[in-house]
Amino acid sequence: MNEIENTETSASTRDLSNAPDMIVCEGVSKWYGDFQALDDVSATIKEQEVVVVLGPSGSGKSTWIRCINRLEHHQEGRIEVDGIELTNDLRNIEKVRSEVGMVFQQFNLFPHLKVLDNVTLAPIWVRKKPKAEAEEQAAALLERVGIPEQADKYPGQLSGGQQQRVAIARALAMEPRIMLFDEPTSALDPEMIKEVLDVMKELALSGMTMMVVTHEVGFAKEVADRIIFMDDGQIVETGTPEVFFSNPTEDRTKLFLSQIL
Amino acid sequence: MSDLNITGVEGTVAIKPPPETPKLPPREWLKENLFSNKFNTLLTLFSTAILLMISRGLLSFIFNPERQWGSTATNLRLMMTQAYPEEQYMRVWVSVAVIFTLVGASMAIWNAGSRVTLRRLGSFLLSSGVVINILTLLAPFSGQAKLIWLIIGSAVAGAGGTLLRVSDKDKNISSLTLVVATLTAAILSLWIVPFGHHSFVFERTPRSMAETGTVALTTKLPWTIMVVIGILAYFFGKTMTSRFPSKNLRPTIIGIWFLTPPTLLYLVLRDPDFDMGHVLNTDIPIFLIFAIAGGILLSWLTRPTTGEIGRVCAALVLLAGFGMFFTPMRMIIRILMLLLATFALAAPTFAGDSKKQRRYVLAWIGVSGIITWLVTAVNTPSTIEVPGDFFLGGVSLTLLVAIFTIVISFPIGILLALARTSKMPIFRILSTWFIEFVRGIPLITILIFFSIMVPLFLPKGMELSEVSAIVIGYSLFSAAYLAENVRGGLQSVTRGQHEAAEAVGMTTSQKTFFIVLPQALRVSIPPLVGHCIGVFKETSLLAIIGLFDILYIARNVIPNQTEFLGSTRENLLFVSLIYFFFAYQMSKASQRLERRVGLGER
Ligand SMILES: Nc1ncnc2c1ncn2[C@@H]1O[C@H](COP(=O)(O)OP(=O)(O)OP(=O)(O)O)[C@@H](O)[C@H]1O
Ligand SMILES: [Mg+2]
Repeated sequence: MNEIENTETSASTRDLSNAPDMIVCEGVSKWYGDFQALDDVSATIKEQEVVVVLGPSGSGKSTWIRCINRLEHHQEGRIEVDGIELTNDLRNIEKVRSEVGMVFQQFNLFPHLKVLDNVTLAPIWVRKKPKAEAEEQAAALLERVGIPEQADKYPGQLSGGQQQRVAIARALAMEPRIMLFDEPTSALDPEMIKEVLDVMKELALSGMTMMVVTHEVGFAKEVADRIIFMDDGQIVETGTPEVFFSNPTEDRTKLFLSQIL
Repeated sequence: MSDLNITGVEGTVAIKPPPETPKLPPREWLKENLFSNKFNTLLTLFSTAILLMISRGLLSFIFNPERQWGSTATNLRLMMTQAYPEEQYMRVWVSVAVIFTLVGASMAIWNAGSRVTLRRLGSFLLSSGVVINILTLLAPFSGQAKLIWLIIGSAVAGAGGTLLRVSDKDKNISSLTLVVATLTAAILSLWIVPFGHHSFVFERTPRSMAETGTVALTTKLPWTIMVVIGILAYFFGKTMTSRFPSKNLRPTIIGIWFLTPPTLLYLVLRDPDFDMGHVLNTDIPIFLIFAIAGGILLSWLTRPTTGEIGRVCAALVLLAGFGMFFTPMRMIIRILMLLLATFALAAPTFAGDSKKQRRYVLAWIGVSGIITWLVTAVNTPSTIEVPGDFFLGGVSLTLLVAIFTIVISFPIGILLALARTSKMPIFRILSTWFIEFVRGIPLITILIFFSIMVPLFLPKGMELSEVSAIVIGYSLFSAAYLAENVRGGLQSVTRGQHEAAEAVGMTTSQKTFFIVLPQALRVSIPPLVGHCIGVFKETSLLAIIGLFDILYIARNVIPNQTEFLGSTRENLLFVSLIYFFFAYQMSKASQRLERRVGLGER
């Protein structure tokens, strides 16, 4: 991937302060029964920004990212995605979901559909695209994620890394303005992690707004504009990768970094 | 299965075939599998002895000179169609021909059949020959018959053995060729082998007559034609496949399959006596109004810009549909209203550009037209004069009730299962109550209730034949059980699948239709097919409420004919073979289906 190394505008050096807000969270709290999983989470993510969310297991990273496309409901606070507030209104939820793509840890491809149909299903039925156009686009996307030759296979016949790249293509087919990644490489063998991260890097450089939960420190250092560190359902510290990894302020951050680095 | 070819790799990397598992010579195979230790040896000897005893018992039952097999042979037609009038029999054959045509064409269109290696065929023939010889030795045959059968058995075994030895390992043959060969042989045997000609001659006593020679022309000629039609239909299907893309062809054929049972029943077998005045003044105008008004409504609903207000409209149509059941109204209007509501509710899923809109409206007009025609046909008296209550009996009644029950209960069962797992409490509670209530009642109670009570409750002017009432009751019963099987499948679909579908913005109905149901039905194939076999076999309860199903004929009708007094056991054995044949076909079909849809799994 020569392109990435040669590019001057490596994501982490961009100035995004004038970009419009894409995701706004204000005082978001969520409980599972009596257990508080999110505690007064506030953050704003700008257009084209790449944010990596770090934190120990059980700190609420998944819960937060899933609140942003309403796979979970927050009980307090406000979440606004591209100017649309998430409430119980079904229409808003559908609108937000077609603007936000999500990639899961377990891929969650549709096992009964061929790779091509996995990618075209939503554009055809949700975006109401003509079939031929959707298939053309899907072929281009599979090319982009590096697996154009797998279109006619079933997900079960692919390797984990290939499956995850199909999942990324499936999300991109809806032409989202935001991509959410929840530990996209945690279920993969080490040799497959790189191929998925490469795709994500390319996506970040193309200007996609991204929110990524991951334990890949290398990816965070290279690609992120900002790191958000969570613990116990709260945002403990945020900062640019340089500052965050070399000069953390909070004790909890230091403890966490000492464990993963 | 050619689908399994790894297409992406083709042409780039040569695939090395896996090493073959070495095949053991027969002696060692026997040793390894049957006599590997003392206990296994004992078990093998013991079960062989039991098997031999059972075969001997069965054979001496079948070939006992006291057996009245003539009762079965003479009454074949009774067992198939009961009292269906002889002069109308052409209609029955037309139905059979339609089914054979569909089967043949479908086999071609779905690429049925597989390759069988000649060696496998050889070992099959060899073992069949050996089994024939063993059975011949066990059977209570006279010397001459024994000799003939021994020669036949040895010939078959010898052919198999030769095939095994001379054919090399890759030579194979289509399983369809084998099926055709077998069918042809069976048909030829009807023309050649002196099975005898058994018939009733009502003018003399005793009425039954057995002549030597081959079977009657009225049997062998139609069956020969049927087989020829089936084979021709296969080749017809082949040319269709080469001419049209399978994505158009297959849905068409599936549609025809679904339309066939009601069509055959009402047009060919029942021949409704349409009152054209009524059709022209009432039925056609009603249909036209619904087609046009519904078409306009649906083309509006499928416009992508319609949005929320469309759903409100669809709900209103549904309410109106239900409301019509509480006011005096023609049945056809009620049914069309409910159908329109279903289409309206599903409309947002199929919304899109004007081409998609047009297609949806056309689908509505087509379906409502078919339904109108069916309702009209059902409500019209038949021209066929039949002694007794119902125009069919025997195997055809059994199949009729089973097929209609299965086809009707499938959608109901799926809807019940979806309702029971839905988030909306009203649906959940209603469907749970219904399912638990129905499952708490014995089937026979439901059948009696529907055959005797329901016709009494019906509003004036509406008629329902006993069999229709029974099919409705049986379908509700079957749907309750089916729903539970489907629910098991629904629960096996992981949360991740739901979330992935929601994350790409699908609505609940799109998610259910495209993601959840296909996966749920796939895992429920084994229990669902088990259920279908159960439905088929339990049609024998029809005998208890006095319908002439095949079991009733075999147990109560034939043994009471003066010529064949007390011939119960022969006919029961024959009937159980018929049940076994159909049930076995169903379970075979299920295995094929499982293999086909198991494709995506790892
Ligand atoms: N459906 C649920 N019901 C009850 N508690 C839940 C549920 N989902 C998550 N939790 C709890 O909420 C907390 C936060 O969970 P979350 O999955 O967001 O953590 P995470 O930061 O993503 O952890 P990991 O790195 O292990 O994925 C955990 O303590 C978890 O036990
Ligand atoms: Mg998580």
